[in-house]
Amino acid sequence: MSSLLAKGSPLRRWGPWIAVFVVTVAVLSIATFGARSAPTAQDRVTTISRSVKCPVCSGESVAESNAPASQEIRRQIAEQVQQGQTDEEIRSFYAAKYGQAILLTPSASGVNALVWILPIVAFAIGIAALVIVFRRWSSMPAERATDEDRKLVDSALRAEADDSDLDDDPHGEGASR
Amino acid sequence: MNLALGRAGVTLGLAAAVLGVITVGYGLVRKRPDLVRLSRWYAALVFFGGFIAAFAMERALITRDFTVKYVADNGSTKTPALYNFATMWGALQGSIILWALILGGYLVAVVLKFRKRLADPLVGWALFTMLIVCAFFFGLMVGPANPFKGFSPPVGFDGPGPNPLLQNNPLMAIHPPMLYLGYVGFTVPFAFAIAALITGRVGEGWLLATRRWTLIAWGFLTVGIILGSWWSYEVLGWGGYWAWDPVENASFLPWLTGTAYLHSVLVQERRGMLRVWNISLLCATFALTILGTWITRSGVLESVHAFTTSSIGIALIGFFALIVFSTVGLIGWRGDRLRSPGRIDSPLSREGAFLANNVLFAAFAFVILLGTLFPLAVEALNNDRVSVGVPYFNRMTMPIGLTLLFLMAIAPVLPWRKASAELLRHRLIWPAWIGIGSMIFAVIVGARGFIPVLAFGLGGFAAGSAGRQIALATRRQGWRGFVGRANGGMVVHLGVIIIAMAFAASTSYVRQAEFTLTPGQSAKFAGHTLVYEGQNVKQESAKIVDQVLIRIDGTGPWAPSLNKFANGNQTIGTPSVRSTFTDDVALSVIDIKDGDNGSVTIRVTVQPLIIWLWIGGGVMAFGTLLAVFPGRRRNPLDAVSAPVSVEPPKEPTGVTP
Repeated sequence: MSSLLAKGSPLRRWGPWIAVFVVTVAVLSIATFGARSAPTAQDRVTTISRSVKCPVCSGESVAESNAPASQEIRRQIAEQVQQGQTDEEIRSFYAAKYGQAILLTPSASGVNALVWILPIVAFAIGIAALVIVFRRWSSMPAERATDEDRKLVDSALRAEADDSDLDDDPHGEGASR
Repeated sequence: MNLALGRAGVTLGLAAAVLGVITVGYGLVRKRPDLVRLSRWYAALVFFGGFIAAFAMERALITRDFTVKYVADNGSTKTPALYNFATMWGALQGSIILWALILGGYLVAVVLKFRKRLADPLVGWALFTMLIVCAFFFGLMVGPANPFKGFSPPVGFDGPGPNPLLQNNPLMAIHPPMLYLGYVGFTVPFAFAIAALITGRVGEGWLLATRRWTLIAWGFLTVGIILGSWWSYEVLGWGGYWAWDPVENASFLPWLTGTAYLHSVLVQERRGMLRVWNISLLCATFALTILGTWITRSGVLESVHAFTTSSIGIALIGFFALIVFSTVGLIGWRGDRLRSPGRIDSPLSREGAFLANNVLFAAFAFVILLGTLFPLAVEALNNDRVSVGVPYFNRMTMPIGLTLLFLMAIAPVLPWRKASAELLRHRLIWPAWIGIGSMIFAVIVGARGFIPVLAFGLGGFAAGSAGRQIALATRRQGWRGFVGRANGGMVVHLGVIIIAMAFAASTSYVRQAEFTLTPGQSAKFAGHTLVYEGQNVKQESAKIVDQVLIRIDGTGPWAPSLNKFANGNQTIGTPSVRSTFTDDVALSVIDIKDGDNGSVTIRVTVQPLIIWLWIGGGVMAFGTLLAVFPGRRRNPLDAVSAPVSVEPPKEPTGVTP
């Protein structure tokens, strides 16, 4: 037991991190499963109307817009929530009435699925490219400075020291490094 | 008079830009330094032309000279002075004048800064590129976006004034200029990147020469975006500040690629690597500013901020295509020189973190670009209509944002070349506890939900990490520990974290409701009490303001209003917001019933931490200033990182500016 807690033992070194991990899991579970007030009918109306596009304005949701049509839809959504319809039922009601474009969340079927899939594909390609690049780098032999290289550097340094009164930076490129 | 003066300015600018391109180009190809040096005069003339055009337009606006069609369309004798002045950038044609003026200003600034190197082909080609961009924008003012068209006003004519939304908040006077200073500022590093490709001097010289220009442009763009969202919060009255609207996205895209560049450029400065990638990022940033202007100004996409439509679209998209093709061509042509010898030793290193940062920022930009243009693509291909809105962007960007916060916590403590788990264990334990502290605090004050609380934790972690770097730097260097790129960058990080936390809190815990109240009636919502006291009607020169007086928790009265403008029959609401450090109560009037009981319908939006968005923006701007300020000078011959084989030192060496 004493060897487990001895100075420099893995437990001693990583103990604080284990504590960090445990506390994080605990706090996040409280945050996720802890008691919280259920969304009120009003909150549901807000959430739904934020995902339905205003049919007469440019690029605003029903929640944002002040157009009479949007006010009417908000009132209607409130009624539908009162009647006990689910969020999905209400959304598909508007999709059926005005067409799919009324929903600000594109559906995940047909061509529209691309808008969900492409970012994941692009991200995967990015990660794959990184992995490949690192593989190539790690298989590359590390370059060692040869004696010739060292001579070159030494002579450059000597020249530098000799010309220190000259403008060693004619283009001002490294002046404020 | 103003018309003639303005046309003269535009013509002068265009002529100087075109002649400059020809002269400088000829001089560069024929190796005639005397001709190349003439760029300074062309630059001065371009700027002067832009200045005259802007002066003529302001003079026409101020004197209400309705013989200028732009003034007849957008000016009015009733518009207050400040908004009248800002009308120059209130509509398309005038905003191009502002663009050209700022571009001319940057051109002159480059000439002044590089006055001793004007014959240097790198600077020559950069000025050549900038002059082409100038010629394009002055060309727009002659062709599709002519601000100096004539008009013969009938007797007693008065214009409609600017769009009512644009004369509702003083931010209108500064937000567009800031944004344009950012957009246009990216022309400078772009021009130097092109010059580096043309001259074949693709080493690090052009990077060092332009890195401060890039930082300044980025800082202006940041401030411009934040002021824009503040404007939309204070004016549009739907209770939000960011709607992932095409115009907002258009400004955010170059910000994302620009931010990626600011990070990855450090790898090239240190290690001479990622040359192609950095040039591509910079060119993408510039191209996206043009694409953004196309999105904003061509009217192809619906947006609440797009105040104009015109035939300028073809010109802008053509210019965008030209930029993309020429940069891709140039990079292909210089491919052999762009290959760099180095390698990155370990993914767990400063440069590895920068690469991860770049993948994330590129993914972020890709999501935004895809979401913005997707409806357009679907309509073109399928003749089908689809909307991509807030729910999509929030869902897709949330994981990227969280990962970026995590990276922001790890990356600053990483040394160059290679880090060990042992090192991270040491350096990150205190930031980790700060992250846990902020999660516990959030849960205690009532925050619930996995995503927001995780965001607060990661925010605290990242803030701890940035704070650690600042603390170490100031302990070592005193007040200089705040200035320079690395230290200022950490202050910028703090600003970003503040904004991210405010964004997470306000999006997760927003409460919104509508109430119809009669005078004297009160309502309770989200822990606040609202009392409707009555109305107050004010007559102003350009509008009739019908204020609804409401007390929030006994403070106030707050006065959201409906404004009926004299010209046209548009009614525009002006919200009223009570801000505190913990939450904002935003009120806007939905409807005022025409009846004797004076009942009104108001919308109440309660969101936590909104004020921290603006504070965070201020911190970011301040951090950028610190980063622009020269840090401690390092002898260029000093080693910047330890050799790989040596054990990494206990305390960081990576903070050297």
